[in-house]
Amino acid sequence: MIPQLVTVRAGRRRFFVPVLPVVLVLAPLLLLAVLGGLIACRVYRISALGALRGLGRLLWALPGARFEIDDGQTAVRVSVR
Amino acid sequence: MNEQRRQILQMLADGKITADEAEKLLDALAREKPSPVTAKMPKYLRVEVTWEDTAGDGPGRINVRVPLKLLRAGVRLTSLLPPQALTRANAELGKAGVPIDLTLLKPQQLEELIEHLDDVSVDVDSSDGKVRVFCE
Repeated sequence: MIPQLVTVRAGRRRFFVPVLPVVLVLAPLLLLAVLGGLIACRVYRISALGALRGLGRLLWALPGARFEIDDGQTAVRVSVR
Repeated sequence: MNEQRRQILQMLADGKITADEAEKLLDALAREKPSPVTAKMPKYLRVEVTWEDTAGDGPGRINVRVPLKLLRAGVRLTSLLPPQALTRANAELGKAGVPIDLTLLKPQQLEELIEHLDDVSVDVDSSDGKVRVFCE
């Protein structure tokens, strides 16, 4: 399953980032990025299909990842669900 | 010895069944035994770093949880690296005094490495900090 919600906590503030709506909003930019990636694959002779599949696998495997840093007064926590 | 096994041996001792029949019954009993409960497979690689207050900012902590699936997906991406990139990486590694030939590293071997990562547990304790790497 692709990530659905990214939670970012910085100090006392907490942000919930719903992945699908954000992806939809950024779709034009993402399309450009994908096109750029495909051109890069062509230039460096990498299988574009393999690269897309690999990126898809990475995206699918992201849920459950968590990253937390507490350093004195500063605290940043990012978790992907 | 369980009860069924004891009954079979008792029947053999009493002469109610032959040795061959007892052997067949014992074999059947062994086959019926449920397989041992498989150990729960770890799903995440955890890295925990804690340190004491050294600069007056208070103690600190880093806690990273990476799904093992993500590691596997990352390892599969390495198969996309073009050979010329690997050659350049080998040359740079050689210059840095690490003579490793990355072209000999096959994706299958890397996946095996990830598979056996669940047994890994690293603990480093020092006076001002602690590092733990393990799978859960």
